[in-house]
Amino acid sequence: MSFAYESKTPLVEMINISKSFPGVQALSDITFDLYKGEIHCLVGENGAGKSTLMKVLSGAHNPDGGQITINGDSYPALTPRLSQELGISIIYQENDLIPSMSVAENMFVGLEKTTRFGLLDRASTEKSAQEEVGKLGIVLDVRRKVENLSVSEQQYVKILKALVLKPQILLMDEPTSMFNVKDVGTVLALTQRIAKQGISIIYISHFLKEVVQIADRITVIRDGLVVNTYKNESRDMDLDVITMDMVGRSVDMFYQKEQHEVGEIVLCVRDLQLTKDSPKISFEVRSGEILGLAGMVGSGRTEIVRALTGADRYYAGIIEYKGKSLMLHSPEDSIQAGFAHITEDRQQLGLMLGQSILENMTIVGLGRKIKNFFLNIKRHQPLVEPLIETLDIKTPSLFQEVQNLSGGNQQKVVLGKWLFAESDFYVFDEPTRGIDVNSKAEFYRLMSMLTKEGKSIIMVSSDMPELISMSDRVLVVRKGEIAGEIPHDEINEERIIKSALGM
Amino acid sequence: MEQVKRKNFFGKISFKDQRVLMIAVILLITVVVTIISPKFVDIRNIVAIFQQISVLGILTMAMALLLISGGIDLSIGNIMILSGVVTSKVIMGEGSVTLAITLGLLTGLVCGFLNGVIIAKSRCLPLIITLGTSQIFFGTSLMITGGQFMNFSRKFDFIGRTRIFGVFPVMLIFLIVMVAVAFILLNYTRFGRRIVAIGGNERNAYLSGINIDRYKIILYSISGVICAIASIVFVSRLDSITATAGSGYELRALTAAIIGGITFDGGRGTIGGAFIGVLLLGIINNAMNILSVWPYAQTAISGAIIVIAVILSNLDNIRKDRR
Ligand SMILES: Nc1ncnc2c1ncn2[C@@H]1O[C@H](COP(=O)(O)OP(=O)(O)OP(=O)(O)O)[C@@H](O)[C@H]1O
Ligand SMILES: [Mg+2]
Repeated sequence: MSFAYESKTPLVEMINISKSFPGVQALSDITFDLYKGEIHCLVGENGAGKSTLMKVLSGAHNPDGGQITINGDSYPALTPRLSQELGISIIYQENDLIPSMSVAENMFVGLEKTTRFGLLDRASTEKSAQEEVGKLGIVLDVRRKVENLSVSEQQYVKILKALVLKPQILLMDEPTSMFNVKDVGTVLALTQRIAKQGISIIYISHFLKEVVQIADRITVIRDGLVVNTYKNESRDMDLDVITMDMVGRSVDMFYQKEQHEVGEIVLCVRDLQLTKDSPKISFEVRSGEILGLAGMVGSGRTEIVRALTGADRYYAGIIEYKGKSLMLHSPEDSIQAGFAHITEDRQQLGLMLGQSILENMTIVGLGRKIKNFFLNIKRHQPLVEPLIETLDIKTPSLFQEVQNLSGGNQQKVVLGKWLFAESDFYVFDEPTRGIDVNSKAEFYRLMSMLTKEGKSIIMVSSDMPELISMSDRVLVVRKGEIAGEIPHDEINEERIIKSALGM
Repeated sequence: MEQVKRKNFFGKISFKDQRVLMIAVILLITVVVTIISPKFVDIRNIVAIFQQISVLGILTMAMALLLISGGIDLSIGNIMILSGVVTSKVIMGEGSVTLAITLGLLTGLVCGFLNGVIIAKSRCLPLIITLGTSQIFFGTSLMITGGQFMNFSRKFDFIGRTRIFGVFPVMLIFLIVMVAVAFILLNYTRFGRRIVAIGGNERNAYLSGINIDRYKIILYSISGVICAIASIVFVSRLDSITATAGSGYELRALTAAIIGGITFDGGRGTIGGAFIGVLLLGIINNAMNILSVWPYAQTAISGAIIVIAVILSNLDNIRKDRR
């Protein structure tokens, strides 16, 4: 679809919007517009201000200045309610569902269906919810509680929740960062389908290939300013131009890992059974090796690594590390043994959101590196600063509360916390989720450095290019079992997908 | 995929469920006490148990709704007393029973509304705010009564003494109706679902377009009215009231709710569970009286039983080492 932009008036116009937080100018004089039926993608580094701009439009943030025009009416600021009434619906980057409620209930919070007598109509709520699920083309029982869903299923619930509002304008903040290829496809198809129905979409993503595939226009923002807006009518925007705008220099998006010899076997897992009825799993990891774990959503990769790191108890099996048999009863045991564990869900499991960057980064390292009884946390500042620099964590100070950081920067704090602890064996579960291209490359460089020092890494990842370029070997997990092993020179997308789907 | 059953009065039934365990504990106590003293299961004693828990049961409904919404109200005992004191003042001033009850209910409403407005608008912790307002209500009761016993000269007898079919006291209808109202409110109204949403994730509820402040104010007001209703039952049983009579009720209501599976974090728990909690407390007390346990030991024993009951119900989490 191509747009005769000049001849139409935009549906949404945001003019000179500015927004600051203590110590941060998140948006400075941003001007942005959106036409009917258009997919307008928003890209930029972590902390550039993308989410903030969307939150201004959804009414979650009041801007300091500027004007928002929607359908010809102007407002200085919106509230969540008003924004909904204007037909705006948003999929937030953060996981913000109500864990104790069912999928159906979550979808209809604020829009509860009632019967003629004013009583709640559960049956029709569940029916409509299940219909929406069907329209998306996924399998999900809407009566399940959200707290029992996997991260990616929860992501689907967020999308469904936004869709039940029957929006005219849909804001999608990194809707695919939790997904693997198949689910990404579902979401991209959905996005294009609803845009064809005349719904306008603002789409934020760090997967630039995705962006180029679906965008009518692409706007790059940096440090709260619009750098450029490009039309992408023939879906062939040059990625180099975009990354140039984003970071100010070109970035090699397809990081090439330096190859080096891997050493002895350090970790040996034999007949690991997570529960009484689950299959037995055996594999080993060598020193200096990056072992990729591939698989579909819910294939059981996370559960395997959680057992390795003592986060969950396992039923039976032997875990031998450097010749010693380990009894892992708790994360403490695992950390003592030299393991690091980057969890899949940063907000619930990976961070203390209300505490500072400094406290979060040093919490694990404290036990291992710093053994004094009395602490002066300020003294640790110089120890942490180099990592902040390398990972490019954008913050006014080390004492900023983590919940005030942008999504990608929160993820970087999780990475930093385990890098700071200087462990011997790293277990990464979706480590680069939500991280911008530039910092990804930086993180890959760090991973290479670790393996060169002889440390080993197990990496669960749904990011195909990452899995392919970083892994020395890939294990494909299907239904909790190891369905296949792919040696280094045979790793490619097709092999992985076929094996993951069991074809 | 996990098994999903339809919601009924007690929610999903499973043996890992706190409520199922509590019922088991109740049955166990019943069996043991009945063996020692068969009059425990006498219909008159069973009615007596329900009579003894009627005030606490009604108050626990208020506490349960608030806890599920992520709030708490430590002033419920003193709201009840203040409402009762106002009612008695009207009666002693020769006002009609209707007027007395109306003003009593109004008092509860005003107290609850006050709690709600302060909590919603100041964004302070409800725990602290209601500790403070509790003192205000208590103090007001003291001022009105001058520290004296207030007598009702049997004006409320019809609630306290009348029995349907000769056994079934009218005051139990109050309890049953309040439990039913709380259950329907929570599970079958838009208001109830939004309260759960606020308790489960206040930010999400706000971003879903729910006016959090309004819902909080309404809920605390409802809770105030429930306390006033409890006061009607309270005075009809005792035929008198003093300012100090309400102390301890808020903590017992809190205990009952928590035993019944409602958590401090909000967003979870059922009315049925809270009711089981009340029942357990009532049965423990009654059993000790029936068995003529030394009165000074009763408090310690009931405390110990509560602790054991709660630990039992948490066994599943302990076993899985889930945190
Ligand atoms: N509530 C807040 N309090 C303080 N600072 C904030 C708050 N929300 C955002 N910021 C800051 O505003 C800036 C822009 O953040 P924003 O979340 O918009 O970034 P983003 O472009 O979405 O990044 P990402 O790609 O990492 O999601 C960041 O520097 C962030 O730290
Ligand atoms: Mg963001």
